[in-house]
Amino acid sequence: MSNQSAETSRMRGLMLVAGREIRVRGLSKANLVSLLVTVVIVGVLAALPSLIGGNEEDAAIGLAGENAPAMQAQLEAMGGFDITVYDTADEAERAVEDETVEAAVADGSLYSLDGVGNEVETKIDAAWQAASVQTNLANAGLSDQEIAGALTVEPLEFVTLESGGVHSTLDYFTGLVISIIMFMMLMTPVQYIAMGVVEEKSSRIVEILLTSLKPWQLLGGKVIGLGVISLVNLVAMVAVGLGVSAATGMLGDLPPGTAAAAVSTIGWWLMAFALFGTLAGGVGSLVSRQEESGSVLTPLIMSLTLSYLGAIFLLNAPTSTFAEVLSIVPPFSGIAMPTRMAITEVPAWQVGLSAVLLAAAAAGALALGSQLYKRSVLYTGSRMKLTEALRRAA
Amino acid sequence: MLEIKDLHKRFGDTVALDGVSLSAAPGEVVGFVGANGAGKTTTMRIAMGVLAADSGEIVYNGAPLGVEQRRRFGYMPSERGLYPKMKTGEQVAYFGELHGMSKAAAKRSAAELLEQLDLSERMGDFVQDLSLGNQQRVQLAVSLVHDPEVLILDEPFSGLDPIAVDVMGTALKDRAAAGAPVIFSSHQLDLIERLCDSVVIIGNGRIIASGTVEELKAKEVKQLRISVEAAEDLTALLPGTVTRDGDDYLIEDGDDQEALRVASSAGRVTRFAYDQPTIAEIFREAVTR
Repeated sequence: MSNQSAETSRMRGLMLVAGREIRVRGLSKANLVSLLVTVVIVGVLAALPSLIGGNEEDAAIGLAGENAPAMQAQLEAMGGFDITVYDTADEAERAVEDETVEAAVADGSLYSLDGVGNEVETKIDAAWQAASVQTNLANAGLSDQEIAGALTVEPLEFVTLESGGVHSTLDYFTGLVISIIMFMMLMTPVQYIAMGVVEEKSSRIVEILLTSLKPWQLLGGKVIGLGVISLVNLVAMVAVGLGVSAATGMLGDLPPGTAAAAVSTIGWWLMAFALFGTLAGGVGSLVSRQEESGSVLTPLIMSLTLSYLGAIFLLNAPTSTFAEVLSIVPPFSGIAMPTRMAITEVPAWQVGLSAVLLAAAAAGALALGSQLYKRSVLYTGSRMKLTEALRRAA
Repeated sequence: MLEIKDLHKRFGDTVALDGVSLSAAPGEVVGFVGANGAGKTTTMRIAMGVLAADSGEIVYNGAPLGVEQRRRFGYMPSERGLYPKMKTGEQVAYFGELHGMSKAAAKRSAAELLEQLDLSERMGDFVQDLSLGNQQRVQLAVSLVHDPEVLILDEPFSGLDPIAVDVMGTALKDRAAAGAPVIFSSHQLDLIERLCDSVVIIGNGRIIASGTVEELKAKEVKQLRISVEAAEDLTALLPGTVTRDGDDYLIEDGDDQEALRVASSAGRVTRFAYDQPTIAEIFREAVTR
């Protein structure tokens, strides 16, 4: 009779449900547009440090006059200058006029068309002072060696008493981006899962679905489907972020392990998503109408928001006890640990412990979420109490 | 052969089913009749495995019904449900796949069914954009897409327009003719009478009557109806308990031959027959007994 039909294996049922979610939600216009917008934003954010920080080209500077050799030595030592030495001050001035160079230093004057940038000015000024001292010392009859000895200054050594106490803007920025992306990538699918569960329940389609699917297939497929959609979004963002950083040459400037942190973020996300996603499905099944789903989701949304706020706080104090605790205790660790790893070195045992705890919590959530779902998905009417759902026989 | 055996189910203090048994042989169309809350939906949900019975079992072809066999059943729940934001053709095919069909076969079958249901042009539309009547047709397609071996339909005719009722009736008859047991519930007793080989009447969680339509009718108290063109009143002359229904005489517990003699001697007998009760009358009789 239905011999054309292959036996629907357990995995096939799971994958069919996941596939439907991906087709209907992932390929929906809304999702594609939001992905595009997010990717563009991430790309711009990743390009921002190089746009602000400025990897601009070497400044072309002309030199002439008595101090020229000393100036050249000073400026070359600083780097970032393309130096041309002219025979006379007039020649140097003309070079500025026809824009062969941006600025020229000759006989105690700085020639430019309309001034030079702050940074360039500071450097040139410093070089001028050092070169003048050098010239004056030579005029006073000191040998080159004596001058070199007099001018050699050991730079200040920076000693920080708290390890990792000082962080560059870049570290902070990376951590911030990771925490924002994690938060978004958890919040959106978690709400979609709950909405999807309630949709199936309120439209009663779940009754037909359950004649050919087991509850775990239905919930699991939904979580996997939305997980794949979010993972594609996350991978796209991480790839664009890292790609733009690499293209603008910023990747090398990032703190060591940033790329690894970005990649391991996906691992943290997987565990956090398993935790929040299955719980969202479970609590979503407690209600029968879409407008009631907000109330049962509140605890999940709250802990997600707290995780995010905690991670932002942690960025300012990555070595505090609070940061350590937050990045180890699930479910907060899901966002806090990858954020902390981006901004500071985290002892391996803490990373390991955090991962194990989060994985265990995810497994627990999987069991709890699917039990809740199984017991309450066919119950219709007013909102079911959590305790009642747990008491009910499946 | 699908057998539902001795189902018991309680919801809290309420006894929903109290030993419900019924069966459908291959090719048999069974009508499941009962007042609201009598236990029809609960019985069908248990048969489809979406609800667990406290006790009792479902036997299919001599063995307890398993998940794989049940997947080849067609089911229409009393509360209809479809994904509102999924395209019609895609949705019907999706259910075909869930029931174990290959992707291509499910697609083909969905297209054929929607063609039969006059919905070919709406295949690319979201279900939420269809009229309620068309959504009902899609629901029907969902329950038939996998060419089911057994049909269990809860109120399949409710909310259908006359054309869809015909389509549904034909579909049931076709499935039965192909050898499938068909069980459906309905409050439209004329449909039950027209479509069903046998009828099961449930009340308060118990089966109160069952059998073929003829058997049930034969079991009912027979009333002899006589129309006579006679000037005088025959009430006192006719045998048994006599009542009047308009100009007709209705006789219970009387010797019919004696009655015929009395009537024909009084005037011209224009009607002499036993009343056939309708299923509706049997149902009313059964549930008020």
